[in-house]
Amino acid sequence: MSTAQLPPQPNDSDRGASRGDGLPAHASPTYYEQPLLKKPHWEWSVITYLFLGGIMGGSGMLVMIADERPERDADLARSARYVAFALAAACPLVLISHLGRPERFLNMLRIVKFKSVMSMGVWGLIAYSGPSTLAAAAQLSRDGVLPKWIAALEPRPLMKLLQGLIGAFMAGYTGVLISATAIPLWGKGKRYIPAFSVCSGFAGACALNAAIVALTGSDRTRHKLERLELIASTAELVLLESFRRHAGSTGDPMFAGERGRRLRTYTQIGGIIGPALLGRLPFGGRAKTLLASALTLAGGYILRETLIESGKDSADDPRAASRQPE
Amino acid sequence: MANGFFTDTTLCIGCKACEVACKQWNQLPADGYEFSATSYDNTHELGGTTWRHVAFVEQAAPLDAPAADTKWLMMSDVCKHCTNAGCLEACPTGAIIRNEFEDVFIQPDICNGCGYCVPSCPFGVVDLIAPADYDAPRGFVSDGRTNDDATQHHGGIAGKCTLCYDRQKLGLTPACAKACPTESIQFGNVDELHARAKERVEALQARGVQAYLYGVDDNNTVGDLNAFFLLTDAPAAYNLPERPVLPSTRQRAGYTAAALTAAALALAGWAVLRSGD
Repeated sequence: MSTAQLPPQPNDSDRGASRGDGLPAHASPTYYEQPLLKKPHWEWSVITYLFLGGIMGGSGMLVMIADERPERDADLARSARYVAFALAAACPLVLISHLGRPERFLNMLRIVKFKSVMSMGVWGLIAYSGPSTLAAAAQLSRDGVLPKWIAALEPRPLMKLLQGLIGAFMAGYTGVLISATAIPLWGKGKRYIPAFSVCSGFAGACALNAAIVALTGSDRTRHKLERLELIASTAELVLLESFRRHAGSTGDPMFAGERGRRLRTYTQIGGIIGPALLGRLPFGGRAKTLLASALTLAGGYILRETLIESGKDSADDPRAASRQPE
Repeated sequence: MANGFFTDTTLCIGCKACEVACKQWNQLPADGYEFSATSYDNTHELGGTTWRHVAFVEQAAPLDAPAADTKWLMMSDVCKHCTNAGCLEACPTGAIIRNEFEDVFIQPDICNGCGYCVPSCPFGVVDLIAPADYDAPRGFVSDGRTNDDATQHHGGIAGKCTLCYDRQKLGLTPACAKACPTESIQFGNVDELHARAKERVEALQARGVQAYLYGVDDNNTVGDLNAFFLLTDAPAAYNLPERPVLPSTRQRAGYTAAALTAAALALAGWAVLRSGD
């Protein structure tokens, strides 16, 4: 029997480098390398919700800041309202599918709990659906689909403000939700993860709305959205890099190995640098915008998938779990 | 009046009577016959349907070292019933409550299986129970309804030690403590247990044993543990965290970072959308 087949010993403590928190990794023995923490059971539905919720929130922010004069960003305001409404309708369905049986969602509505980020998120989603629905109905009315009097019901400045504020919360709270767990990787990112979640959600909203504006609106608005997306995704890239440096070896499940390569390829290069370079091309027009948007959205999804899946791996590391980040 | 466990690992003989008694009283399914090949511990860990777990820390000294250098430590692990419980704070439905014995209890008919408590426990205790494992007739009673009436369990719910809430209501000692043949697991009022445990630590230290309490006056954010331990090796050797952190303490930083980022992006967006070009 070779040594490789021997079970790890409880005091087999020479593996792993420093975790970047000033404490040597070998200070902790482990219990036969048995994971100390339980990993989340979250699968595609939660990943999809994090992704869609970000775009939904980002679109609300775009509704808030859009200049609605016809010669300015009326096309953006229209598209962002529809996107926000469609996603506000879809997100609860995704969440409910995660719970197995639809009526179990009602249990979330028993209480309002400020301490529970998930409770806050559920109520945020419900609060968001109100202004989103009213604003989308008013937009449909202005677009001639619904009767004219519906548009008159909407207190537009207030709805824009509410959609923007609750939207910003919806784009960011998912990051707070996962960093307020015991998972070392997520806890280490308590500032970074919420911040780049907002950036990614906002960049995704710019991308999706730029694609819609490319098909239905003006070149002017489309170019402005591309510029805005570049700002948000550059911030996202900087935050991801800062988090990687800050996390040290606690960040390995996310940034090292196959998963790190995937994150770099699809999110950092494919989803951020790629669209930025595409934007510099002097030709391409609308097709270029559509391609850049698709790349950005794919990168946003991969970012969320990487976050959740690497959190599961982080839970499996008993050394990181022994000294939990503050 | 908080009730809890004092688990004195120096008295544990690793018989696993606590594991069996817990499974039996709470009608929890068996863990299967999985051979760990690391020690006499084939249970591995606490889980949704494993509420006591006896760890075997087998530290063999080199052959030429004195026999006394070889450590064979056993510890019956359990939900810590923290003063500040991460699972309880995370629970969005209010299914996880602190009951009249100041223990952390998951109301099975209210849990909707969202799973947020699972990564929120700094000790890796709570886990989801698969529906198939939950369909066995159960002993819980909540507001006069059994779990069989409350058909909430399809899709899974969270499970962990109830500190035998049902037995406590009847004035009985929890099954594990009742079954423990060496009084390694002691049940009672936490203040009384603290006093008894401190005496025990002093007695052991007087005999040269490096004993200390885990989960009492540890000065961390989870606070005192209603189920605390007397240990003779580093916490990590027993798969307990050296430095547990209450996850909700990170919320303020997270919300602040998100709000600042969103404000910066909204301002940038405002400027870009209003730029004349």
